[in-house]
Amino acid sequence: MWTTILLLFLSIVLGLGAWLLFVWAVKSDQFDDPEGVKHRILDDDE
Amino acid sequence: MVEDVGGKEAVFCCPGCRNIHALLRSEGLEGFYARRRGWTPGPFSVPPVDPEIFAANARQSGPGGDLEMDIAISGIRCASCVWVIERYLAKKPGVLSARVHYATHRGTVRWDPARTDAGTIAGWIADLGYAPFPGETTEMEESRAREKKDLLLRLGTAAFLSTQIMMITAGLYAGYFQGIEPSTRTLFHVVALFLATPVLFYSGYPFLANTLAAIRRRAPGMDTLVFLGSFSAYAYSVAMIFTGGEVYFDTTAMIITLILLGRYLEASAKGRASETIARLFRLAPVRARRIPPGEGAAPSGQVVPVSAIRAGDIVEVIPGERVPADGVVSEGESEVDESMLSGEARPVDKGPGSRVFTGTVNGNGRLRIEVTGTGRDTALSRIIRAVEEAQARKSPVQGIADRVVGVFVPAILLVSLIALGGRILAGSPAVPAFLASISVLVVACPCALGLATPLAAFLGSTEAQSLGILVKGADVLEKGSKVDTVFLDKTGTLTQGSPRLTDVVGFSLPRREVLEIAASLEASSEHAMANAIRREVPRNEWRDITGFRAYPGMGVEGTAAGKRYLLGRRKFHVSRDVTAAEEQREIARSLAREGKTVAWLSEGRSVSGLLAAEDTLRPESPECVRRLTEKGYTVWMVTGDGEAVSARIAGEAGIVRVLSPLTPPEKAEAVRKARSEGSVLLMVGDGINDAPALIEADVGLAMGRGTDIALESADAVLMNDDLLLVPRFLAISRNTMRIIRQNLFWAFSYNAVAIPLAVAGKLHPIVSAGLMAISSLVVVGNSLRLRRGNS
Repeated sequence: MWTTILLLFLSIVLGLGAWLLFVWAVKSDQFDDPEGVKHRILDDDE
Repeated sequence: MVEDVGGKEAVFCCPGCRNIHALLRSEGLEGFYARRRGWTPGPFSVPPVDPEIFAANARQSGPGGDLEMDIAISGIRCASCVWVIERYLAKKPGVLSARVHYATHRGTVRWDPARTDAGTIAGWIADLGYAPFPGETTEMEESRAREKKDLLLRLGTAAFLSTQIMMITAGLYAGYFQGIEPSTRTLFHVVALFLATPVLFYSGYPFLANTLAAIRRRAPGMDTLVFLGSFSAYAYSVAMIFTGGEVYFDTTAMIITLILLGRYLEASAKGRASETIARLFRLAPVRARRIPPGEGAAPSGQVVPVSAIRAGDIVEVIPGERVPADGVVSEGESEVDESMLSGEARPVDKGPGSRVFTGTVNGNGRLRIEVTGTGRDTALSRIIRAVEEAQARKSPVQGIADRVVGVFVPAILLVSLIALGGRILAGSPAVPAFLASISVLVVACPCALGLATPLAAFLGSTEAQSLGILVKGADVLEKGSKVDTVFLDKTGTLTQGSPRLTDVVGFSLPRREVLEIAASLEASSEHAMANAIRREVPRNEWRDITGFRAYPGMGVEGTAAGKRYLLGRRKFHVSRDVTAAEEQREIARSLAREGKTVAWLSEGRSVSGLLAAEDTLRPESPECVRRLTEKGYTVWMVTGDGEAVSARIAGEAGIVRVLSPLTPPEKAEAVRKARSEGSVLLMVGDGINDAPALIEADVGLAMGRGTDIALESADAVLMNDDLLLVPRFLAISRNTMRIIRQNLFWAFSYNAVAIPLAVAGKLHPIVSAGLMAISSLVVVGNSLRLRRGNS
């Protein structure tokens, strides 16, 4: 029983982490320019 | 950069282009420049940057006292432009960050006000050869961006929670078959409840809000069904936690997640194509050179904002500039490119007394203009207003899914009530009767129904886009599938919009010689007629020309083999006392009547020959018309040109039905009339004069080289000006619609099986979940068939 609860808790915490990352990404405009990103990967950073 | 080519200044964007031009020229391949499609460079000029407009655009960024501004940049053509602007600005002192969006050509720059300012930054961008504009975003764009972001957050949240719920549900299913401890089962139920609540009330909030609105209006729609289904599944499951039955939290979550996915796809497809309106306003210049009253010809006037110009002012327009206001030419002669208004590529001659229009591009002469209208009182803004009004009047199309749902929702409610009433009348206890009626609502799954249209439309428009057809919304393909009549504009749509040489008449010289001398004289001219003439003669047959002189808007003069030739307009020759015989003038007049542009060649005082050019058919036009006719579409040509010209072009294209001559409002009227007679109409056009008709038509299709306003008015845009895409577009529309119908059929098949079982109270949750998954997969798989290019 406790194993089940622990695993449930873990999976929810992991999911929550991914969700927070996603919310951060949306709020900081990471999805605003999906066109440019694919061109940008070819740029060299100097 | 400017280079002297054959005695004339030519403008290049970079040394690379200059070298290529030199290479092509040395091989006699200059026809390339006349042939190439798509973007054609105008005179290369970045308008001078006015620091004040940019300064007004700056705003505080964060608490540190830094400033930032939005900037729209014109002239971006590829990812390298974005790269160079970002890197160049980042290297400048005081610039903290610079970011340019490739898709929207807009950027944000943040800087330290102690070390630089807005005007300087705009100047740096202009130094690179791009034209910066203050990037005010319209309210509509902003709210669309906000809505899309909001939708993405709700969708993402729903998706994360749904995966968790699915995991727990899988545990419950396993427990159903293998046995499960009651305490574990309750734990799982409670956790699923905890996870499903935000899905329903946060992610599903738009559905809740719309359902409440629909109840007030008594008009149930798709959202009502979505919320009804997910909420009843939720409420039923909460009750089951206490009574020990099976829960349906996964249904709640999946319905909302899948429908939100459909909505998001739809919003992305729509947003991609609607960027042009903001660019449209950049057609109108922001500055003008005003000549103070009573001043002589020498100074070129003071530069003032366009808003300061009043009717009656005199403004000067130098070569290459856009005309800042509507007016009448008072001094000077020039050719003005009005293609943005008419789609006609041939420049129009302007002299004292001619009318000029805001936003048109001045050619090679200086003009002084007496202003008659500015701001909202110009031909350009009148057309924009007409377009806006027509857009407002055009009622939104009710998609097939909405119509279906309008019938489906009341029917489900009725079935649910019958299930309840029937059982109670049959004497069964109230609780199971109530549960059976709720389970009808639960299984009336709108999942597949909600995905059926947006998914197919999204894939259809993606497929269209890969062929070069930009489709602005899901409903466009739906309407496109019903089209039975096609209206094609003539100039710039059926025809190239740029002239080709058609006739050479020799009087005192043989025809070949007329042509060769004319080509040699026009060796370095860049206007449309010169291109047409030059293209006909190989480079190595050109004569050596000495003493060359060009008279902008009139013609050219030069000496070949000791003889002095004049080439140009009739009035040029008249001014040099060249006498033309009556029969020669008659030939010129008859050529002009056919819609051709005539150039005169003379030597000494007598006319040597005539050259005539006209706008010619696109090579693919007859094939396009043939394919359309073959598929059973009725094809009309609509044009503002006279009968003789239009009849000939129609004949060459194989079109029998012609409407001409029509003014822009008459074009729109013709469209309205055809629609009122029951035709479903596709209009293809490119100019501002086509804009009202593009909106009035069921589906408006604009040529990609067309004007911004035409692109904005159209429902779809042909990106690479290939007319054969018109039949392709119609085929994709029909195909997409067929897939949507099949999807709806599958969605209903599921309901046809599930609802009777639910009414009978025999529907097991696993069966219901399985059927739901299968119907959604069938819809997705069926829609994916649109991608295989089998249209």
